Amino acid sequence: MNPVHSSVPGTDGHPLVVTRLSDTQWHAVEDDRVVGHGDAARRPDGRLFVSVDAWHGAVFDHIAAAMAADLPAPLHAVTDEADHETTTAWQRAGFTPVRREWGHLVPTDPQVTGLGTVRPPAGVTIVPAGEVEEGPLRALDAVISAEVEAGIGWPAMPAQVLPRPACSTVLDPSKYAVARQDGRYVGLLRIAPLLRQPRIGLLAVRADHQRRGIARALLAHALGTLHRNGTATAWAEVAESNTAATALFEGIGARRAGATLELVRH
Amino acid sequence: MAKTADGIEVEGTVTECLRNATFRVELPNGHIVLAHISGKVRKNHIKILPHDRVLVELSPYDLTRGRIRYRYRS
Repeated sequence: MNPVHSSVPGTDGHPLVVTRLSDTQWHAVEDDRVVGHGDAARRPDGRLFVSVDAWHGAVFDHIAAAMAADLPAPLHAVTDEADHETTTAWQRAGFTPVRREWGHLVPTDPQVTGLGTVRPPAGVTIVPAGEVEEGPLRALDAVISAEVEAGIGWPAMPAQVLPRPACSTVLDPSKYAVARQDGRYVGLLRIAPLLRQPRIGLLAVRADHQRRGIARALLAHALGTLHRNGTATAWAEVAESNTAATALFEGIGARRAGATLELVRH
Repeated sequence: MAKTADGIEVEGTVTECLRNATFRVELPNGHIVLAHISGKVRKNHIKILPHDRVLVELSPYDLTRGRIRYRYRS
């Protein structure tokens, strides 16, 4: 590899040379010093995401242009919505925002969430994390994955829940609590029990069991467990377009604490 | 502190998350740098919180600014 892109005047008058180092890496050199990097990675859903790090906007622009020339469209990028400088740089490179994902700080205290009295609907029981059977869990995951693919599609879902190459989102069954009805799993909640801040990674209910309060009961169980263990808040990402999930989280006192913007260049 | 081909890299501890997608990071020598998250860290949805230990690349143009290139597992 090593295709060298055109040499252009750099920030100090020295030539700036952008070189592709590998299938997924670029760098920019000025006056024998690396002044910027570019990186590309393909997500499990097949989309190609790129990133650029540079101390100057002009260097960012040259790396982004080189990557756009080398890679097939469409290209995707993510930024923090509060990072106006980077967002503007991607827009200069021809990227436009297509999606926003809110980060929520979710309280666990039942006095705050109002979930203290919430019980599962009749006939439904909650199986706590650590007691879930892997086979039925994977079967439920397959059903929900098929429903997502037939509906809004994985690109509309937060990156943390994307299916892996084995076509399953289940990496560690011990991190799941599930809702069970008539011996069958009908809803799941995955939580990464990080000490620094637990993260609710996926909350989903089979389409034919939605609108019965199962997701709310799963949340009540998971947040109540965290509260009893001394954790005050959890973290959850929700796509702006997912109004039902947003209403669920904000209805229990979750507070928006930032947003990730996804941009695309066709 | 390590000087790489890219610049100066140093470990630090995040002391504060600021509202404009930047972080205050305290270095072992007590200096504070204002750092943002690298594109690669952002792309991988790695969340940075206070008390996290991170690897910061200092700007060669302004040693009070930096870029978080890696978050160590706690």
